[in-house]
Amino acid sequence: MSAPSAHDVCVIGGGVTGAGIARDLSLRGLSVLLLEKGDWGAGTSGSSTWMIHGGPRYLEFDWDTTRRSCEDAGHIVTIARHMVYRVAFLMPILPHDRNNIERMETAMEVYDRFQPLKKSKPHVRLTADEARQAEPGLTADLVGAVTLEEWGVDPHRLVYANVQDAVANGARALNHTRVTDLLRDGANVIGVRYRSPDGSLSESRAKVVVNAAGPWVPEVSRMAGADVQLRPAKGIHLVYPHRISNFGLSAETVDGRDVLMVSHGGFTLLGTTDDDFYGDLDSVDVHEDEVDYLLQAFERIFPAIRNYRPVRTTTGVRPTLFKWRRYEDELSRRYQVIDHATDGAQGFITIAGGKLSMYRLMAEETSDAVCLKLGHQAACTTAVRPLPGSESELEPAAELGQRFGIPALAAIKLQSRHGSRAGDVLDQSDAGRIVCRCEPLTESELAYAARHEQVRTLADAFRRVGLAAGPCAGSACVMRAAEIIGRQLGWSASQRFDAVREFVQGAWLGRAPVLGHSGWAQEELAQGALRGLR
Amino acid sequence: MSRADSLAKLALAYGVHLARRGLTRPKSQLGTLVETNIRPLTPVERELHPRLVGCINCGLCALAAGRLGKTRLPDLASSYMRLYARLAEASSDLDGDEADLEAAAAACPVGLPLTEVAALVRRLAAG
Repeated sequence: MSAPSAHDVCVIGGGVTGAGIARDLSLRGLSVLLLEKGDWGAGTSGSSTWMIHGGPRYLEFDWDTTRRSCEDAGHIVTIARHMVYRVAFLMPILPHDRNNIERMETAMEVYDRFQPLKKSKPHVRLTADEARQAEPGLTADLVGAVTLEEWGVDPHRLVYANVQDAVANGARALNHTRVTDLLRDGANVIGVRYRSPDGSLSESRAKVVVNAAGPWVPEVSRMAGADVQLRPAKGIHLVYPHRISNFGLSAETVDGRDVLMVSHGGFTLLGTTDDDFYGDLDSVDVHEDEVDYLLQAFERIFPAIRNYRPVRTTTGVRPTLFKWRRYEDELSRRYQVIDHATDGAQGFITIAGGKLSMYRLMAEETSDAVCLKLGHQAACTTAVRPLPGSESELEPAAELGQRFGIPALAAIKLQSRHGSRAGDVLDQSDAGRIVCRCEPLTESELAYAARHEQVRTLADAFRRVGLAAGPCAGSACVMRAAEIIGRQLGWSASQRFDAVREFVQGAWLGRAPVLGHSGWAQEELAQGALRGLR
Repeated sequence: MSRADSLAKLALAYGVHLARRGLTRPKSQLGTLVETNIRPLTPVERELHPRLVGCINCGLCALAAGRLGKTRLPDLASSYMRLYARLAEASSDLDGDEADLEAAAAACPVGLPLTEVAALVRRLAAG
């Protein structure tokens, strides 16, 4: 075991909350160690609906959550302006929906009061004919529709931008590093023991240890002898590699829940389910009945949905706060900062619950609790300080593309990930060749991600730069990608081969539940291209 | 704030909404909505759309025909058909040579109508 390092704070969990806490504390001048057992944002954050939203749904349960969420969303769209984009929804109303159009418009009128907090536009009401002009794919049975505007964001990039800024301000951030134990000195938690990707064990002393492990919060808390109860809820999404509808759409499920079809930049997310989860958090499967449940809901309002080819599914577990006698869908997305001093674990703090749209606020309140414990006085600056890439205006994509000899479309995608720092990525290499054509992704960006953005596997590259996120699901690019990453990380030929095999096997788990007609044609192509790897 | 409070406030808002709705009829805002968002697909494009986005990026069309402007044909169907919202910023990628789209479509194993794909991409890229 190597000699222990020492930090003011150790944060366990590299989802958006943990990364936000690491950024906040490092900006306040504290030394921070951030540990993530998988990759940045690979858990709940990455399997979200990719939205920074206020949550009009919560108006039925808890207006305060909606207000706070909208306020913080406003901060996030300011500090992360290069990676957020407006997502306009049409909420079609059918004759026998739970909410008729007057109720639905009432909810939107109330929500309009919160919309300015996040710089969104107020709703619009459409007749059935108008709604079908805006989106010709809607069913003819429509009564009318109201609109709603939210923000979209790539959660993987949002998490990584927080990690990146934390590191730029002195934090140490390690992915693929699992905490195995907490170090104790009597009642005090004084640090962590962790296992690095090479299998070696290390220790780090910390004055405060923060548990920001999302659905794994109870597991980490048990290491400190503390009991934190969550009510984990599983959610799945179907991923279509194209924009299906001009607008995001909402639909009602057979059991009266609202689900969304969200039109993001180049793909569509359809979801989500919300079911109590009792299984292994490290192995969450998607079942075909969950897929059918979602398709059934959308078929009512968008009859052609089954003609489209989903390319994969995503699944994750929400770390919802525990509450007895409530349906999953009725649970609040509130959060709680817990100081475990009273549980006999001095120096140990947990942040539990919450949602992506409030991550910054959750990080601020957790950081306040840490600073109070340490007697450290420094104000939070994360509401106003831009994340890396959002510091200045973007150069027109066509000019950036021309300057570096890449297509304008590739430049657009590069800017959506790196913002005003896109030129730095291309500056470091002369390889402007496209490696993943669906995305499109340049070889130089992939090499940069391996060199500077802690990409250690092909799945990390999927999250960091969108490798294999498109229609071909990697059949055309993963071999070449393994060569590029392998060159940066010193992989042998067999390590490259293993990396591809691991990626293909992992991707298959997400694809199997949604394969149908042309999906199988694509699979056969992939089988041929990557023969023997599955 | 409890759930009962939230529901009571929503009920009040509902009453106000119904009263206001009974007194006024707002003008159509469809024009503003469409203007500030992506151009809608036409009904014909919508009908064809599931086929237009069926590319599996096998690359066979690239062997049958050249490029459309600076863009390889598989990219047209697999990546340009994805990012509608910002295609106008990438219109320069499509300027230049014409490709033999019919020959390319004939080579496509999933029957992608490449002529229609090119027409839609160009229409959206024109802004």
